[in-house]
Amino acid sequence: MEVTVLPEVTWLGVVIKAVIILAIISAIAGFGTYLERKVLAFMQRRLGPMHVGPYGLLQILADGIKLFTKEDIVPQNANKLIFQVAPAITAATAFIALSAVPVFPDFTIPEFIPLLGGTFVPSMAADLNIGVLFILGMMAAGLYGPLLAGMAQANKWGILGSARTAIQFLSYEVVTGLSILAPIMLVGSLSLIEFNDYQAGGIGSWMMWQQPVALILFLIAGFAETNRTPFDLLEHEAEVVSGYATEYSGMRWGMFFIGEYANMITISVLAAVIFAGGYNDLGFLAGWFVIILKIAFFFFLMLWVRAAWPHVRPDQLMWLCWKVLMPIAVINVVITGFVMMA
Amino acid sequence: MSLEEFKNRNIGKQNYVKLDLEHTPQTPLGRFSRVVRRTLKGELFVGLYVTLREMINALFRGEMHTVKYPLEKLPISPRYRAIHDMLRLLESGHYRCIGCGLCEKICISNCIRMDTRYDENQRKEVSEYTINFGRCIFCGYCAEVCPELAIVHGGRYETASEQRASFSIFEDMLTPVDALKQQKEYDGFGAVSPNADENIKKTPLAY
Amino acid sequence: MSNEITIKIDGIEYKTKEGEYILNAARANNVFIPAICYLTRCSPTLACRICLVEADGKRVYACNAKAKEGMEITTSTPDILEERRAIMEVYDVNHPLQCGVCDQSGECELQNYTLEIGVDSQSYAIPDTKRETKDWSSVLHYDAGLCIVCERCVTVCKDMIGDAAIKTGPRGGEALPKEYKESMPKDAYAMWNKLQKSIIVPSNGSEFTNCSDCGECTAVCPVGALVSRDFIYKSNAWELEQIPATCAHCSNGCQIFYEVKHTSITDPTPKIYRVTNEWNYVSLCGSGRFAYDFENRVEGKDAEAFARAVEALQKADTIRFNSVITNEEALMLQTLKEKFGKKLVNNDAYAFGKFLSTYGKAAGKMLYGSDLKSITSSDFVISVGAALRNDNPNARYAFNNIQKMNKGAGLYFHPVADTVISDLGKNVMSMIHKPGLEEAALYLVLDLFSDKEKLPEATRSYLESFHKKGTRTVTEKVMEEVTETVVDEATGESKEVTKKVPKSVSKEVEFEINELASMLGGSDDFADAFEKMMAKKESFSLIVGEDLYFHPKAENLARLVALIESTSAINIVMIPPKTNSLGVALICDLDDAAEGYTVGYNENGDFRLSALGNGDLDMPALNQQEGTLTNINKLVVPTNAALGYNGYVLNDLMNALGCGEELTVAWTPKLASKRGFEAHCFDDLPNGYTNSGAEQRGYALVDLHRRAGEEGVEEFDGSIALEGEIAYRCNPQRQFNDFTDKSHEIFEAFALYASSTKAEELGAKVEVDFGSERRVFDVVADERMEGNIVKVPDFRSADDIYGLFGENRFKNVTIRKV
Ligand code: SF4
Ligand code: SF4
Ligand code: SF4
Ligand code: SF4
Ligand code: SF4
Ligand code: FES
Repeated sequence: MEVTVLPEVTWLGVVIKAVIILAIISAIAGFGTYLERKVLAFMQRRLGPMHVGPYGLLQILADGIKLFTKEDIVPQNANKLIFQVAPAITAATAFIALSAVPVFPDFTIPEFIPLLGGTFVPSMAADLNIGVLFILGMMAAGLYGPLLAGMAQANKWGILGSARTAIQFLSYEVVTGLSILAPIMLVGSLSLIEFNDYQAGGIGSWMMWQQPVALILFLIAGFAETNRTPFDLLEHEAEVVSGYATEYSGMRWGMFFIGEYANMITISVLAAVIFAGGYNDLGFLAGWFVIILKIAFFFFLMLWVRAAWPHVRPDQLMWLCWKVLMPIAVINVVITGFVMMA
Repeated sequence: MSLEEFKNRNIGKQNYVKLDLEHTPQTPLGRFSRVVRRTLKGELFVGLYVTLREMINALFRGEMHTVKYPLEKLPISPRYRAIHDMLRLLESGHYRCIGCGLCEKICISNCIRMDTRYDENQRKEVSEYTINFGRCIFCGYCAEVCPELAIVHGGRYETASEQRASFSIFEDMLTPVDALKQQKEYDGFGAVSPNADENIKKTPLAY
Repeated sequence: MSNEITIKIDGIEYKTKEGEYILNAARANNVFIPAICYLTRCSPTLACRICLVEADGKRVYACNAKAKEGMEITTSTPDILEERRAIMEVYDVNHPLQCGVCDQSGECELQNYTLEIGVDSQSYAIPDTKRETKDWSSVLHYDAGLCIVCERCVTVCKDMIGDAAIKTGPRGGEALPKEYKESMPKDAYAMWNKLQKSIIVPSNGSEFTNCSDCGECTAVCPVGALVSRDFIYKSNAWELEQIPATCAHCSNGCQIFYEVKHTSITDPTPKIYRVTNEWNYVSLCGSGRFAYDFENRVEGKDAEAFARAVEALQKADTIRFNSVITNEEALMLQTLKEKFGKKLVNNDAYAFGKFLSTYGKAAGKMLYGSDLKSITSSDFVISVGAALRNDNPNARYAFNNIQKMNKGAGLYFHPVADTVISDLGKNVMSMIHKPGLEEAALYLVLDLFSDKEKLPEATRSYLESFHKKGTRTVTEKVMEEVTETVVDEATGESKEVTKKVPKSVSKEVEFEINELASMLGGSDDFADAFEKMMAKKESFSLIVGEDLYFHPKAENLARLVALIESTSAINIVMIPPKTNSLGVALICDLDDAAEGYTVGYNENGDFRLSALGNGDLDMPALNQQEGTLTNINKLVVPTNAALGYNGYVLNDLMNALGCGEELTVAWTPKLASKRGFEAHCFDDLPNGYTNSGAEQRGYALVDLHRRAGEEGVEEFDGSIALEGEIAYRCNPQRQFNDFTDKSHEIFEAFALYASSTKAEELGAKVEVDFGSERRVFDVVADERMEGNIVKVPDFRSADDIYGLFGENRFKNVTIRKV
């Protein structure tokens, strides 16, 4: 394996990277909503948003304006501080998790740009050697957003929503962790870059062939952790109005939203990096392009599933987690261990 | 979509299959085996397949359902009871209404009013005619009772208004004289039944 | 009742009166027999024949056959049903299918009976004839195409109105095909045969009726053939709300319905579209029917004017008003008099009231003995001092109806000859006398009708003094026997032959002269003619008019009337001069002259309360207020507000003066404080007719009896008879007061009316010198007047014509052309 010597990572580079992530992911999250509506519409043979901008592209902008200008209501009996902080937790944890995710390849800002010229911007803001652990940890901490939001708002739907948050996130955290334990064992590192490099040998070397069960478990658990159909129980309209977000409006509600989409992206990136070959070049396709395609696919998969499947009941959710997925994950780890020892 | 296509859309083409739902298994084992069975059967993937197929149909095969409403409009059924039209006689172009007042009488919302007078040609002239659409419930009685097939329900169904009451006067409802050729006979509520002739006894004429 | 009989209709027993038509008997008992051409109160025409019934096994026409004790009547047998159906089918032959535009639609008897009989197919046909639509007068519109020739219009005009202005005329239709004669039910055929030959035309041979324009023919027409020109195509009958009321124009107080609807699409305020009546039981005149839009529309309450009015009333010494007001308003004014000592001045009611009280003193009661309704059943009617055609149209209708229905006779004493009256029947005698000789007329009536035994000695001999024996030369045809000697040519013999040859001889005959009659314009053979008129007459009536109230010898006249009533079998009716003169005369103590500051109510004054829209404070007109009126039939009848009124009413003024009631109608029970009236709540007063034609309207005044006065009658004063150029205070037909004048369908002008020849002589415009004042009038020819007397109308109160004539209705004037 060829060893490349990377330029030194400066604090300026990290800040720039962080700003980029924040800006781009927010934008992409917004764009994600547009995509979601479009894809769902197409699958139902509708057109989706069409009227703001060409093909409704500026709908995001309209939504943004709406979210920013809507009145920010804090219910009378709510715990004001917690109520106000909770959305920020969701958004912050989602973005912090992203700091350890390689989002773009490294690059150096061209010399001719004043001030920043020559700064090296790394592919991830923090190349932690425990990247995966960090990401999972951060996402798990994201649990506090909905949990506190629901409990602070003095609304029974909110309480129900936060209760569901607690059980759903905590339970599936286990599955997520166990499911990627096997790949970690294979790679022998927690760094995502290592994962990437492990699969550098073309499609055949992708992790998903060695760990199909782990992939499936990871995806299922990922759906659950991002609160996506068929596990969108936290704010299921037909059951709990809007769950933990019942009393939220305006930008605060928007932060939950962005957080959710950021998490979707995180999960998509993780799936792409851990199981689908990362950002290695694929034939003539450049690595950055390939990974965008892969992320897009996993993102699309979430929308697709939402269009196709009904959601499950909370009891089925638990049953599935503890009685099906968790045992399978454990067995998978054990088998992987045996295979490695053999 | 043409009227003909429209009328036949989605009717009787699908082969609906009745779901043969099995009983919910009672034992844990039964339940487990059902999960396994269903999982392996790939039912979930059928769902994915169907949605993807529909997306492809919609995007590439022109089977998009959406009608971009204010820009595109579907033809409405002739039996739809929308805003009224007042028709004219095809030959002379004179309005058909003779001012008999039956519509005024039958209207259950009491929203029709008319002014008539004796005109210079010794005819009853309908000098003004209004319907208060703020009150009209589009029951169609007026169209049904009209002996002259003068008042009918037209195709204008966009009745939202910024006013609490919006009136239409005679001129608004009357076929414009220059559009006489396009005037369509109304074949909905109150139209003459196709076998009307059979139901009428002939009156002898001495001419 | 003694002549009550029992009949059986379809097996059920009913009570009715002897001699009642089967149809009326059935109607009074709520049994339905179809009938189109019959009009209650008029003679049966037998034009429609649909009223066929079987009485005791024989087919008779219900409208024409009288009920007899124990009669068994079947209203429908299969034969009769077939007949009726054929009749309705015939009516529908060539009847234009234009119900959609027709004014009668919804209340059309042709529609109703076609439906009732269930005509759903047609078996007969005949080529149609072009039938023209005509405007017969300023109000009548006739569409011959719709006419079913039931002749109701002809009948009502002849038997009720008396104009006989229309008749059946040739239609020009083809003769009926022969085969129908055999194949059709025979009554239907007969009906059709007549129908196919006739339409209705004006009877004077012209295109125009030149009639009284009463519009009664339009009311009775069962179909849309005769309608008012103003109403045509304006509104469907069912859109109009009927408001029962009492006509505000003359003293007959006819029951009417104001028919009200919103004005137009753009104007939702209610408007009166027409007036209808129960034409079977009451006949209107042209004012009642067409003068309905006299309401006073005001925007709202004018508080300033109100304050000024209160002040004016406080300041006023006199209130001047006329009798076009309700009893309640009269009572309010009387209250003002009682509380604040205001003088009340009312020309018409004052004269009438004085006459009535003089009469009352002499007769020992308060009111005249009879009413128009009851005299209609008499068979000899006399009218003295009333311009019957103009003063009270219903008195004229009664006069006429007596001639037509009771084979009656009539004596009409009046200085102005009226061709309508003299044409009412061959037994009507017009006595055209000099104005001022009304006393002589009453003496003649006394002479002709009273029981001489009952008369005071002086009067008897006074009357005797007019009877003279006179001789006159009559030329008679006598048959004279002439004996001739004829030579028989053949034999040569001469022979005496006696032949009768007519020959005129003059001879002096002695006969009885009644100088009274001669003085009153009776011809020499008055006595013979009168004898003929009297043949087979049983009940007698006398109509007394306004000329007697406005007369220099009014008091004597009143006593004469009382004397006639007490010494003869004559029933007496007095015509109150204006709408509510009787009520006002009974309620108010009137003063003879105005004095000081005057408030006028619909009259001239320093401050004017007016329902005409031209006063200092607006008042509601009679179609805008509730209240009661006292009519000629001595009934206190209610009237209703057809239209709303936004301004102040008299009761508001009363309240401001501290003696008002909560509502105007709260005064109605308070009327009981006046003689003759009773305490009834306004809302309890009925206003309609039952199926039997019984009038159920308001309540009747109670007459009070007391000892008759002792004052005798004076001899008549021939010297007050007027000669030369004379003006008569009299309104044209259809005009009574400012309100009729205001109505848009009344066209009769405020002008001098004269007979055609006189009008020609006078030219278009004249100046009339009344002595005190001169006035300029247009001259209008009234074709139905004769003689030299001219009529000056008083319907505009602002012109104060009463003032010009003073206490007389006739006046010597000088007329100059201008
Ligand atoms: S549709 Fe019905 S409610 Fe409307 S105007 Fe006609 S009759 Fe009246
Ligand atoms: S029913 Fe028909 S003909 Fe009669 S008034 Fe109404 S629109 Fe005119
Ligand atoms: S007269 Fe009667 S039947 Fe004839 S058109 Fe008029 S409403 Fe119809
Ligand atoms: S005009 Fe009317 S009332 Fe007169 S005959 Fe004809 S239908 Fe009868
Ligand atoms: S309007 Fe009166 S007077 Fe004239 S024709 Fe008719 S009924 Fe006779
Ligand atoms: S009603 Fe008796 S014949 Fe017409």
